[in-house]
Amino acid sequence: MKIAAKRDEAPGVKTLRLEFQNPADQEKFAETYRTGMFGLYGIYGEGESTFCVASPETRNDYVECTFRQSGRVTTALAAAEEGDLITFRGPYGNRFPIEEFHGKNLLFIAGGIALPPTRSVIWSCLDQRDKFGKITIVYGARTVADLVYKQEIDEWAEREDVELVLTVDPGGESPDWKHHVGFVPTILEEAAPAPGNCVAVLCGPPIMIKFTLASLKKLGFEEANVYTTLENRMKCGVGKCGRCNVGSVYVCKEGPVFTAEDVSAMPASDL
Amino acid sequence: MTKILYSDDLTACFSAWRKEGTKVLGPVQQAKTSGFGEVQDAKELDLDLVLTDRTLKELFFPRTEPMLSYSIGKQQIDTSEFLPSEHPCIIFGARPCDAAGMAIDDELFNWDYRDEYWFRRRDRSVIMTIACKESDDFCMCTSLGLAPDSAKGSDILLRPLTSGKGWQVEELTPKGSKALLPIASLLKEGTEEAAPTAEVPVLFDLEACTTWLANPENFESHFWKEISERCIGCGTCTYLCPTCHCFDIQDEGDTYEGIRRKNWDSCSFQLFTMHTSGHNPRNTQSARWRQRIMHKFNYFSDKFSVHSCTGCGRCTRECPVDMGVRETLQAISTLPK
Repeated sequence: MKIAAKRDEAPGVKTLRLEFQNPADQEKFAETYRTGMFGLYGIYGEGESTFCVASPETRNDYVECTFRQSGRVTTALAAAEEGDLITFRGPYGNRFPIEEFHGKNLLFIAGGIALPPTRSVIWSCLDQRDKFGKITIVYGARTVADLVYKQEIDEWAEREDVELVLTVDPGGESPDWKHHVGFVPTILEEAAPAPGNCVAVLCGPPIMIKFTLASLKKLGFEEANVYTTLENRMKCGVGKCGRCNVGSVYVCKEGPVFTAEDVSAMPASDL
Repeated sequence: MTKILYSDDLTACFSAWRKEGTKVLGPVQQAKTSGFGEVQDAKELDLDLVLTDRTLKELFFPRTEPMLSYSIGKQQIDTSEFLPSEHPCIIFGARPCDAAGMAIDDELFNWDYRDEYWFRRRDRSVIMTIACKESDDFCMCTSLGLAPDSAKGSDILLRPLTSGKGWQVEELTPKGSKALLPIASLLKEGTEEAAPTAEVPVLFDLEACTTWLANPENFESHFWKEISERCIGCGTCTYLCPTCHCFDIQDEGDTYEGIRRKNWDSCSFQLFTMHTSGHNPRNTQSARWRQRIMHKFNYFSDKFSVHSCTGCGRCTRECPVDMGVRETLQAISTLPK
């Protein structure tokens, strides 16, 4: 795929917008891609990395991925320039069943670099806004600088049909920061969204998921109405190489999207 | 009357197969270990081995294999895929535990997405298994519901004659029968008896083990720490296991040209599951050993209705610190459920 655009999101975090070179591949992607699915993005000679497709299913004529530069592949991807070619395998995995969310209130909760998978669902829903009830987005990052998609956050803040709750970890605020300071689970409990007729979509690092699930439980959310993603290390993406499984579940095939109920059934210390 | 193949005719059989364009492989000594290699003459075979050091899986799933080669130009990436040749081959002298392992691996490689690397090699191969007359202290096929003359995964089963001069020939699959056509004239009809198979004692109660493993409370049991305390995470057990199938994908080359390879990997290694963030779902050796046992006797069984172990015993036989599936399951079978 060709890098059509490249954007800096936060220190070390970049977004690539990719376009298919071959119209048949584009057509196939548009047919199969649903929000929640992931891909393997690669540069020959360096390898492949697994990220979600960060763009929504309602805008399927391109693929966006957002990643933090940290290893060999992400360093090479970060160095790639607009016009360069990179490889993409996917879309793989399951999806968020957003048609089941029709008529319901939606609560999105994301931490740090996990806004990309959440953002894919957010736009997939905002692009057909009338099908859903109240939409609340709770997003937190370590520091103000670490917040990704700042432009889109501003867009959400301006919309009257979206309630946006932003927070940064204590010590991560800047002098002009006007939003919350505190960890996501705490801020979520303060915001206290009503659990009735509401579906929660939660993405974040494992430790944040653990504590936020507890907060959601406290707020009265049923596990079946809470969706999250597991982002395990992957190589093949097609259920063979054996590293992403948790218990008998292959995250690459049966995930990455799970309900909190599914996650509860998994061996907790293997997550 | 049964079909009999005499050892004296074996080299003639190999020639007949080769004349048809079929490669013949069998158990041979290679450098410091034994494994399966190409043979021209029956004398090259080492048929006295209870079991080769290395497993049959290497013939279908090599330690390392190229998947594709790439070359990168300014506006174009060219790739060409390497797929294994479909050149027919006969594997003479496999053991029932190894052959059964291949049938178990078929489940994984055919699940959801059919792995062409595995199946091209599987489809072109005929497995001629020799039932075991002898076993060693590490053999545990009977503990896993198999036997020294199990037919699972084989195309032809050979039972050694009492005289030691050949084998009774049992055709198990159409592929096996077809492979016998070029050597039809070398097979004799006879009544000679087959030698008794090895007596392999049952070492543990498998059902008691799987019941214990299936209890979620036991996942956090201190047992896992105790049993795996001396594991050094070398991965030998996984590499020598006929049913361990985990792999890695790595690029070799530079930004202009190179090869993408599939290499064996192991759940014993810390890096296997390590996230970029540093978070590791299986961060301790005991968690990794638990994963290996749970995968074989609970997760895999859950998905494919068969345990991912055939009792070949290699994990215990070759373990540098004397642990393995045998010790673990023996210990589990005595624990309260």
